Amino acid sequence: MAGDHKDTAFAREPTRDSDGSRPRVRIQDAVKSFAGRVVVDVDDLTLGTHPIEGLIGPNGAGKTTLLRMIMHSISLDRGTVTLSSDGDGSEVVLSDLPAHRMARHGVVKTNQVITDFEKLTILDSLLLSVAKATDEWPYRIYREQGLYEDTVEGILWYLDRFEFEDPLGFAKSAGEKKLLDIIRCLLLKPRVLLLDEPTAGLPDDIRDQLMGLIDEKAAEENMAVVIVEHDLHVIWTMSDYVHFMAEGRVLLQGEPRSIREHDTVIEKYLGSGHV
Amino acid sequence: MNLDWLDAFLVSGLFYVMMVIGLALLLHLQLGLARIANFGVVGFWGIGMYAFGVLFVKVDWPFGEVWAFLISVVFGTVVAGLAGLLVGWLIADLDIDGVLVGTLGFATAVWILATTEQDLTGGALGMGGLGFPYDIGSVKANETLWLVILTILVAIILYYVSRVHKSPYGRLLISIGDNEPLARSLGKAPFQTKLWLFAVSSAGMGLLGAMYGVNERFLETGNLGIDITLAAMVGLVLGSTTRMWGAAVGVALTVGLFDVVIQFYLPLPREWYTQAIPVLREMVFGGVLIIVLLFRPYGVLGDMRRDKLMRRMHGG
Repeated sequence: MAGDHKDTAFAREPTRDSDGSRPRVRIQDAVKSFAGRVVVDVDDLTLGTHPIEGLIGPNGAGKTTLLRMIMHSISLDRGTVTLSSDGDGSEVVLSDLPAHRMARHGVVKTNQVITDFEKLTILDSLLLSVAKATDEWPYRIYREQGLYEDTVEGILWYLDRFEFEDPLGFAKSAGEKKLLDIIRCLLLKPRVLLLDEPTAGLPDDIRDQLMGLIDEKAAEENMAVVIVEHDLHVIWTMSDYVHFMAEGRVLLQGEPRSIREHDTVIEKYLGSGHV
Repeated sequence: MNLDWLDAFLVSGLFYVMMVIGLALLLHLQLGLARIANFGVVGFWGIGMYAFGVLFVKVDWPFGEVWAFLISVVFGTVVAGLAGLLVGWLIADLDIDGVLVGTLGFATAVWILATTEQDLTGGALGMGGLGFPYDIGSVKANETLWLVILTILVAIILYYVSRVHKSPYGRLLISIGDNEPLARSLGKAPFQTKLWLFAVSSAGMGLLGAMYGVNERFLETGNLGIDITLAAMVGLVLGSTTRMWGAAVGVALTVGLFDVVIQFYLPLPREWYTQAIPVLREMVFGGVLIIVLLFRPYGVLGDMRRDKLMRRMHGG
């Protein structure tokens, strides 16, 4: 829980101003039910107005379901999800698109549960991430070397910073798989990065290094980052803005300090001993 | 050329073995990499064979027989590819059970169509009039040359499959077979990928069917049973579904051993060949499939080794 941690490498002073050119995801009138029980019911929520935003709430609040609705990996009962950017004036209705088109529009999500390609090595996995659809046609059977030469620099950039036991072999530990999942997403050069419990299973030093990198990318590459995380230290230290969810609804939004000290958050999530 | 030393039965047996290796290699792309269990191999093979045969025999071609032959082969291949596209479209989003039923259903539909359609295919009576696009002398010489051509084709398929393993396309297929939702989250399109995979591999199966039809010179619906699918599937599973050489090794150990070595070299009673051996063959193949799945699910050669391949390609 927050407060148990010492200061870490990625800790910094929040809060940064929003940037109008940063891509934003707007969720409107979005509802999702499972077996008659409403899991998410969001009237109007915009993510990405700040570089890094936290999405917190108790278990079952609907955070992961909301992220999966954005990614269209589960369908919406009703409502729309829109990606817009003042920078280029574009607007895309994500909820009308199939799930695999999200990454092409720069909306990428890491996985809450550790998940990997069991038959692919670490390097395989990273090359898969950077390969374009045109590299993967059935007739492009001589493309591998060209793809490797075109992308190896970007891949090595990550492999130099984050140590894997054997990059040409398979990811072995849960930590390596978690890290690989996040690097795969970063290699996609996302415009909106949804991190679903990114630090679970990671050693502290790797966690700090990774979060520091994400912080840098959010600032330098104009990337919008949304973090769902139960390690609240990560939320309080990284986020510029926090959304609080409970029972499928977004109940509060604001700067980390105000959310942390809000009675509703203390009552429904943190407990009185937290502050 | 003097081919007295070569037995016609051996040529025929080797042709069958080589053809099944080709089918198993194409099935390897579907089952071994993308994890799509296509139980309708014979349907694509048969549709290629019949599309070729019908066009070649029924059309009164205004130009030479060689051109008519080549156009008909291309037609059979394309029709099989289009059938693959259609079946792929139907089954791409289905689970394993759905794929099984869908592909089996397709193979059955091809068999029923070939059996009931009298005008085009001759129905259950079959259809003759096919022949080699050349004549170099005796029947045995023509068949031997056809076996050589088939061997070259299968070698090309083998080379293509080996390149697929080393290409981004192969990696894509493996990722979709391994973890489709994860591949999708990385922007990969499983539906389109499966569609193209089915179109390409089915076209190859259709081409092999057309070549078989030429070798037999007579098309009959009895060829459209489960035998071909079972032979390719058992061979691949025995060798290794996920390794390229699994198809060749597995088919050699099953079809090669049974259809060539046992039938050709063992002194079996002549009357066994009509009834007992075909039935015994299906029983043995079915038994091998069960035993392999129980005791060595990755087959004789074991699972694929991407780590070795990656070290070889990018380790230097």
